[in-house]
Amino acid sequence: MTHYTDMQLDALRELANIGSGNAGTALSAMLGQPVDISVPAAQALPLANAVEAAGDPESPATGVVLPIFGDIDATVVLLFPPEDEATLCTLLGVQPGTEEGHSALGEIGNILGCSYVNSLAEMTGLTIEPRPPETVADMVGAILASVLAVRADSTNLALVMDSRLIVENQECELTFLLLPSLQGIDELLRRLGLA
Amino acid sequence: MASVVSGTELMVRMGELATSAVVGEVLVTIGLGSCVGVALVDARRPIVGLAHVMLPESTGDADGHPVAKFADRGVPALAHAVKALGASRLEAVIVGGAQMFSFGGTDGANIGARNEAAVREQLDRLGIPIRAAATGGRKGRTVRVHVQGARVTVREIAGVEQELYGRGTL
Repeated sequence: MTHYTDMQLDALRELANIGSGNAGTALSAMLGQPVDISVPAAQALPLANAVEAAGDPESPATGVVLPIFGDIDATVVLLFPPEDEATLCTLLGVQPGTEEGHSALGEIGNILGCSYVNSLAEMTGLTIEPRPPETVADMVGAILASVLAVRADSTNLALVMDSRLIVENQECELTFLLLPSLQGIDELLRRLGLA
Repeated sequence: MASVVSGTELMVRMGELATSAVVGEVLVTIGLGSCVGVALVDARRPIVGLAHVMLPESTGDADGHPVAKFADRGVPALAHAVKALGASRLEAVIVGGAQMFSFGGTDGANIGARNEAAVREQLDRLGIPIRAAATGGRKGRTVRVHVQGARVTVREIAGVEQELYGRGTL
């Protein structure tokens, strides 16, 4: 299935909404600060456009990537632009740009990614598990392209479920992407009764 | 195909290719991770091309995939396009093929390295020599191919722009 109806995209957006809500709650608990979420949309985009979906491809970010496997294959990607990374590290009491800081972001990514995945599993009845996250600091475009290429052999579309988690009072934002495989999308929709 | 973004820069996004013989124009690919940017230049004339290859091999059904997505189609297509502008003696510069993550591919193999190998094989088949390469490693790269002087430059995220190839004032 390579074409999605508005109803299907709305349902996927709703999944992203709930998943990010849970992730936001987890982040809030970690930071001791209120966290807002916004879920712009679930979009099916050609790969070249998907790379640009999270912002300027040349801009730097720290990316935490969690592959998910089980009943569906998917990848969770968290992107922290440098200033937001610095703010988060400060909130956690670690120095940004150090190995400790890097590791703290990986931990945030792990916790948020797992809470997102767990809420997906609960909502859909899927059995899914994350693999250990990998953290890289590089251009947003390079990070996303490398993640998208892994599953690009049979499709030109990426389903991008994009959320922003905003730490209130701190002007700090991170981007949260769920990129399911083609079969993963079909399975999600099946579980939602919308295949 | 590529799209004009600003002034004289033509963006070549994932799976796309572009060519130019207009002095002053620059073909640009941003953020090559595991993907490989293949630049072709004419050995003497100001004619250049750039393809952004994502995967080594097409799996049979080529319809609906961007022209340069797979090395086995994209590299020949790029060579054809550059020759259509009048280029004859072609030389190549390749950039990218990094391994940013340790997972990847259905068989777990390193996509970046496989892309580089596939591109090299295609160029070899076409008899096009590779004059410079900035490949492998773990970092993303941005490549710029200038029509003027067939200059090819590479830049990593925190790095300085480096010239990989160029012919001075030609």
